[in-house]
Amino acid sequence: MLHDALRFYPGGDRAIEVELGDGMDFTLNFTVHRLVAAVREARIAAIEDLIPELASFQVNYDPDRISYEDLTAEIARIYARIGAGASGSLPSRLITMPVWYSDDQTTACIEDYRKTYPDKRTDPDLVCDLNGFADRGALARVHSGTEYWVAALGFWPGLCSLLPLRPRARIFAPKYNPPRTWTPKGAIGIGGALTCIYPDRTPGGYQLIGRSPAPIYDGAQRLPAFRDSLALFRAGDRVRFRPVTQEECAQIEAEVAAGHYEHDMVEYQVFSVDRYLDWAKGQGGRG
Amino acid sequence: MSQRSISVVKPGLETTVQELPGRIGFLEQGFPVSGPFDAWSFRQANLLVGNDRDTAALECQFLGPALRFDCDAVVAVTGADMRPMLDGAPVAMWSSHVVRAGQILALGPAYSGARAYVAISGGVDTPVVLGSRAVFHMAGVGGRALVGDQVLPLGAADPVTLEAPGLTIPPALRPNFTTDRRWDIEALAGPNDDWLSPETVEMFFASDWAVQAKSNRTGIRLTGPEFGFAHRAIHKNSDHGQEPSNIIDHGYPLGAVNLAGQTPIILVNDAPSTGGFINPFTVASAAFWKLAQAKPGDILRFRRIDRAEAGRLRAELGRVTSSGVTTVA
Repeated sequence: MLHDALRFYPGGDRAIEVELGDGMDFTLNFTVHRLVAAVREARIAAIEDLIPELASFQVNYDPDRISYEDLTAEIARIYARIGAGASGSLPSRLITMPVWYSDDQTTACIEDYRKTYPDKRTDPDLVCDLNGFADRGALARVHSGTEYWVAALGFWPGLCSLLPLRPRARIFAPKYNPPRTWTPKGAIGIGGALTCIYPDRTPGGYQLIGRSPAPIYDGAQRLPAFRDSLALFRAGDRVRFRPVTQEECAQIEAEVAAGHYEHDMVEYQVFSVDRYLDWAKGQGGRG
Repeated sequence: MSQRSISVVKPGLETTVQELPGRIGFLEQGFPVSGPFDAWSFRQANLLVGNDRDTAALECQFLGPALRFDCDAVVAVTGADMRPMLDGAPVAMWSSHVVRAGQILALGPAYSGARAYVAISGGVDTPVVLGSRAVFHMAGVGGRALVGDQVLPLGAADPVTLEAPGLTIPPALRPNFTTDRRWDIEALAGPNDDWLSPETVEMFFASDWAVQAKSNRTGIRLTGPEFGFAHRAIHKNSDHGQEPSNIIDHGYPLGAVNLAGQTPIILVNDAPSTGGFINPFTVASAAFWKLAQAKPGDILRFRRIDRAEAGRLRAELGRVTSSGVTTVA
């Protein structure tokens, strides 16, 4: 899925899209993050922002300090030096997010959309149909039966794109057309092969299957998990979903409201890319 | 020295504190750059009151605020003509004015353009969040739009003397707001122009595009002809999604013409950092100010330029927003 060489696409006079390959998979995304880290380490003063995404990254730069030609040549040199491919180990936090599947708020949001678009199949049932799940219980079991790789952050502060690491847990769903004008805070959605968590009430297009009472964004930095950052996740973290009942969801919401909810976060873990890829191959995945 | 401040009498329509260069370095976590939409007018306002040109000031949208000064200050209003009044008497746009403690500066609706800037000597001194005072209103990053009775702290400034000469920006150096409601917008092809048919790329630069009312600091929505797609937009890896304009999530450049289905949306200061739609064209950075001043119903025509011309436009914009452009009124 990797291209033979980087493909550079100018985005106006201050940004470049650098495409490494075509597809959504762990190896490609891991290579994106390796290259972005190497570009960051090169400390090119004219670079203002780097946005790693699934199969590409964006560089924002000051064109009065470096030309498009020089910057793309420099990035190509860095890529030639580090090479493509995924191996090694990296620190990777494991964060477990409680989820109330088919909760009240996403159910109400879906019904609100269906008032305007009555032909829209209810999200969890659509996902079940398209992926061969017998019922919503089976959907919740598969969705919560894998770790996810935080592949990218974007669209909104803290919004994360999660790739399932267990090959057989890949769940596909089309995006809304047209998009929703609102989504409940904490909603869990599936779009393409990705899961996302909505950090706030925002527009959106992923099929909604549940909601987490644990915040992933805290502009006021009230909770301990947000001491160092307004956003919970970093690229390279791993996430697990733990199904909870309505009662437990309410209990967690009360703890969040009182300001003493502690996220379930294991800080000391290291993720071995080689061992993961060997395991995924054995599971019949494309890695 | 006592704390200098202004109080909000009327907030106006989504008036925000903005600062340059905006929130740099946090796009990878999903935080937009924000900052003033029309940096040309913003910088000239700051230069008029003796500030560094990138100092935090107020951006007023469509309907301006009324502000009571709790201290003496020098102010300037630039950008959209909101007919500013000081204690009920008209004061000139694009000029500096001495304001005494207790006086009220009131802006009205925009007669030409859409966004006005109010710079105050010493600058607005709200807390810095993630490296900037720029407000991303929708997520409340760096604060939100002004509300009534809010008190805005100001930075330190030299004592105001009435004898100080007023400054102005010569008309030839101000941004030129069109009177016929048509704007020529310089734009570059890419990053995803190869997802459109060659005829559609030609069509884009040859058509009128009307600004929709549903436009704001996250995006300028346009109405115009239908888009046709290239082979690669229709026959692609299923990871890209079903619609021709769907692409695997990627970064969104500032000024990109983003195509969601058949609706082009120009992504501006508070736009999403990433997403799953193609960006066939990108507005030149030196032309962003025009997007800030275009009103709903205005017509945009895009003129195709290359990177070299974008560089010349940037240099020109840099010249008219440098210290030394002000003259004694």
